[in-house]
This record gives sequence, C-alpha cells and structure tokens, in this order.
Amino acid sequence: MTTTRIPAQSPPPERPSRLRPVLRGLGEVCITLGLIVLLFVFYELRVTSWFSAREQARATEQLRQRWQREPVDTEEPVDPVAGEGFARLHVPALGPDFPFTVLEGTDQSTLSAGPGHYAESALPGQRGNFAVAGHRAGRMAPFAELDELESCDALVVETDSQWYVYRVLPLRGEVDGWDPEQRGRRCSGVAPIGGPYRGVVGRTVVEPARREVINPVPGQPPGTVPRQWRSRLITLTTCHPRYSAEKRMIVHGVLTKRYPKVADRPELKPPELGR
Amino acid sequence: MYAWIWRHLPGSVPVKVVQAVVLVAVVVAVLLFVVFPWVEPVLPFTDPTLE
Repeated sequence: MTTTRIPAQSPPPERPSRLRPVLRGLGEVCITLGLIVLLFVFYELRVTSWFSAREQARATEQLRQRWQREPVDTEEPVDPVAGEGFARLHVPALGPDFPFTVLEGTDQSTLSAGPGHYAESALPGQRGNFAVAGHRAGRMAPFAELDELESCDALVVETDSQWYVYRVLPLRGEVDGWDPEQRGRRCSGVAPIGGPYRGVVGRTVVEPARREVINPVPGQPPGTVPRQWRSRLITLTTCHPRYSAEKRMIVHGVLTKRYPKVADRPELKPPELGR
Repeated sequence: MYAWIWRHLPGSVPVKVVQAVVLVAVVVAVLLFVVFPWVEPVLPFTDPTLE
C-alpha cells in the first residue's frame, strides 16, 4: 500500500497588497482630522479665554488709569474711543466673573477683549438704549449665563462719574398681572413700560437679523418716539443657543437708580452690588 | 504615515520618543496659535452681535 505523502507546503507568499498602505493611510488621516477637531473645540472654549483675559485686563488697567488722571467733574458722558474701555458692567446675579470692562464697538477684535457697546446706541444713563454685545461661549464668555437672569436682577454700569443701576424688565410670562407692591423693594422702578414699549420684555430670543431690538425704542424704527419720551434702557445681546450662533438672546433692562461717584471716596459702591 | 515617520526618526527608541513628543507639541502649537485664529473668523460659531 502506498501512501502519497503530500509535502507540507508553506502558505502562498503574501502578495504585497497595494491597497493596504492606502487604507491605513486613510484611516490615520481620519483619526488625525478627528483629533484636530477636538483640539479646535478646546481652542474655542479655553484657549480663546486665555487670550481674552489678557486683553480684558489690559483694557481695565487703561480705563482705571484714565479715570485716575481725569478727575470726576462732569455728569456729561465722555465720548468713548473705538476699541477702548469706557465703562464697567457689574452683574451681581452672574457671579464672580463680573465686573467686565465694556469696550466701544462690536467688531470681532473688540469683542474678544470683553463686552462691546454698539457704537450707534445710547451711552450709559442716556435716554434711549445702551446696547452691549458679549460672547456666550469662549473668549471668557461674559454673557454665558444670560439665560439665568430673572426680572429685577441688577445690571450696574459704572462710568467715570456715575453708577447707573438698571434692572431686568418683567419676563414674558410675568407682564400680565405685574404687581409692583408684591414684588418688593428689589423691583422698585421695574414694571412693564407700555405705550411704544409694549412687547419689550426682560428676555427674548430673536433671529440675528432683528437689529431693531437695539433701536432707541426696541422694535420701533428710530425717530418714531421723540427723545424726551424715551425710557432709559440697557440691552444685552449674545449667541443662542450656547455654542451656536443661530439666534440671539436679548435681555432688556430699565434704569432705576443713579448714584454720582464721590471723587475722594472711590471705594464707595452702590448697595445693589451687595456686601 | 505615523509608522513611516517613526521609521525615519534617527536614534534609539528613547531618543525617538523625545523627538515624537516634540513634533506633536510643535504641531499643536502651530494649530492653536496660527491656524485656528486664522480660520476662526470664517466659521459661524461665535458671533454674538446683531446683523
């Protein structure tokens, strides 16, 4: 009996596949792109804040020096210089990140240093609408928690000579049946304004094109309400939802109090700031 | 790609590791401080102003 013995064969030599290195390279590129996107998120949310903190500190220092140089002697607001700080915004309800120095202008480089004042809008304390834009995510995100503001929360603006205490207007659901007596002292001076201001509430979300919310009377074409009939409002604008720029969140407040600064007592602060 | 770079780094393994770390750091720094600030204004994520 004969057995045919099949000699052990080595596996066929692997043909060098041309596809494999290409696929591997493609996979590596995909992973790399994913890592770059993650790094970009980190950049947007953190790294930009480091840069902004430096710019904000510089603006604050310049403002402090200017206020020290030019003693308080006038109630007239000083015309702000584009790209430079001219006021301080204190919002006790938003915690220890505040106050921020508000700069003049709303271009990207100005806003990266802090909240920016819409140049054509009113100055703090004036009749009309003092409108300020600020980032909601990244770049220190001064207005990150704007959605947490409630009616009557204080928005205090400090200028070279004055403290202006604005307070958030009644929110949409609170306008009907707003009773100042029930609301207590915190809300004194806050109520739905009515007239041409009907529909102006504490907080809204609008399309980015709705620029009329920063008009002297929000929602009304400029010039329809004579200056002497205008209220003194503040308007804050930021991105909405957070991490997107699809819409804008708008907060309106009304001036309720004003305290002149005392030149030789710079440490005096309005009671609204607490402590 | 990464294997090719690794093969072409000179020196022993520890030396290669050091070089690799330095390379990664350089790439990250270029992205954070040059590339991202440059592309960011074009991307529609962060504009808080009204049009």
